[in-house]
Amino acid sequence: MAITPQVASRDVTGFKVKGQIVYEGNPDYLPRTIAQGNPGETDFSFRYAYHCAYGMDNTHQALPLFNPLSIVGFPIGANTLVIAGKLDVYRGDALVKSYSATCAMDKTRNLFYEGETYSELRKRGLAEVRTNIEFQMHEDRNFFVNPNAGK
Amino acid sequence: MAVTQGRRRALIAILIAGVLGGSGCATLGPVYTKVDKVPEDRGLVYIYRPSGIMGSGVAYNVKVGDNVVTTLHSGGYFPYYSKPGEVEFWAKTESRSAVTIDVKPGQVYYLKGTLGVGFFVGRPHLLVVSADVGEKEIAECKLIPEPKKEDIKEENKTPK
Repeated sequence: MAITPQVASRDVTGFKVKGQIVYEGNPDYLPRTIAQGNPGETDFSFRYAYHCAYGMDNTHQALPLFNPLSIVGFPIGANTLVIAGKLDVYRGDALVKSYSATCAMDKTRNLFYEGETYSELRKRGLAEVRTNIEFQMHEDRNFFVNPNAGK
Repeated sequence: MAVTQGRRRALIAILIAGVLGGSGCATLGPVYTKVDKVPEDRGLVYIYRPSGIMGSGVAYNVKVGDNVVTTLHSGGYFPYYSKPGEVEFWAKTESRSAVTIDVKPGQVYYLKGTLGVGFFVGRPHLLVVSADVGEKEIAECKLIPEPKKEDIKEENKTPK
């Protein structure tokens, strides 16, 4: 698994920015550094979205039948999954911050082990993307604590 | 003698053809036609399997939860009207394949099934493909009849 950008892991417990959240997916995959605020409580609003791209090797399915190494566990195929997540932070109507992360995963399978399913890979990848964005957001914590400091 | 050999060859050819194609044969319907309108409260997932010689005799069930959505035959497709949200489609023979789709109302998705090499029986592989790829590959597929009534829940039946 490869995730970009590479960000040092850190403890983000307790760091949470409130705002209006625009997101249509499973709440489990939403960065935990943002929380739904009451109307008028804050200027911030967040838009989070992710996209999954699936891939499978183009090796012909019959090829492993003619490969004697298949019987000793030589890979007979591979799956790939790339997940990209993006969190846009708005203040009023202005885009003030944008965080994105991409997670690329691949797994090979052989006659004895099929490996994780796409569903399992997706779940793991979305959690990694979420965590990466949390770390990036935490790096900017000064901005969120005092958003007017840079003005 | 020559006649006997000829008959034997013909018999072997019939047996091979029967083994390769016969066991997974199903009465498929008309060739693919695009669904005109997707219900507003549902997403449409085209589940299809391009035809191929390898594993054409093996069909497998595609399920959502414990509910059989369709039995996927080589060269077949089935339009499934799904409730919105995270929906996991899965299939299993000697191994399990599963893929989760974020179904949104009114949207169309293409779920491609293939059959890979297995130890005793072919293994199902499910893959979400783009609309470009899906529309191209599904064009030659034929409609798979709806599964038996006891296998399909009322809420997931195809809208009339």
